[in-house]
Amino acid sequence: MGKHEIRLRKQRITARGSERFRNYGSVLKQHEEERRIKLIVRIFTFFLIIAALILLFVVVIRWEKKQEKSTHNTSVTKNIDHTT
Amino acid sequence: MSTDAKPNCMTDDEIRKEEGIIEKSKKDPRAFGEMYEKYFDPIYNYILRQTGDDELAGDLCSQTFVNALNNLPRYEFRGFPFSAWLYKIAGNEVNKHYRKHKGKIIFSIEELKVRELIDQTNDDWDQELIDRLLHYMNELPTDMVRVLELRFFEDKDFKEIAFILDMTESGAKMRTYRALDKLRTNFNIKMKYDG
Repeated sequence: MGKHEIRLRKQRITARGSERFRNYGSVLKQHEEERRIKLIVRIFTFFLIIAALILLFVVVIRWEKKQEKSTHNTSVTKNIDHTT
Repeated sequence: MSTDAKPNCMTDDEIRKEEGIIEKSKKDPRAFGEMYEKYFDPIYNYILRQTGDDELAGDLCSQTFVNALNNLPRYEFRGFPFSAWLYKIAGNEVNKHYRKHKGKIIFSIEELKVRELIDQTNDDWDQELIDRLLHYMNELPTDMVRVLELRFFEDKDFKEIAFILDMTESGAKMRTYRALDKLRTNFNIKMKYDG
């Protein structure tokens, strides 16, 4: 047996019952709503990416400073060792 | 479908006119209302045939047009009537619904259409034959039934069917002929459709 079921209709399918679902105004409204949500998500994602990049930049700068400091400290210690 | 009955063909002028409306709708979605009015009934009926539920068909039909509007900026004319694109979206919506609810796809077919499909000159056909035919169609793979539905109940040509179902034109033809051959040999009935 397939994943379907065939049903026989004695009467022809007409669009008579479709009138109550026909409402372009609501389709347009839903489209506008989805468009707005999409735009908000896009803007949010954009700011999230920018924030992540800034965070990464800050982390790299701090790490570099730390590295600089540690190399400076080791060179000072070496100099002290030499003088003594 | 009889050989003399032609599928829903549109003239070049009609297709071009639709293209104009679509281009206008890309800038102003209100212009799409004309297409909505034109295609609401066929799309609703197409979905109703695959769900058998008025309310569900109404919801999925609305969602089809919302999706069409959302994706309209990406729509490109590929030599098919705009309706083919709508049928494709509607089919995807129906599939999505069945995937989500894990139900059986329902194909509602009209008795009148079945009787049209079977040659009227054949005296052997009766209610029992139709029942056996339906039972047999239940056993066919769903993809095959989908092609048959679009070909015989929606009157689509093979090029459109291929586009709607994301397959090649020759694939759509092969599936149809294979299904018809099976029906012919299993039921020993003369189908009205010859190609």
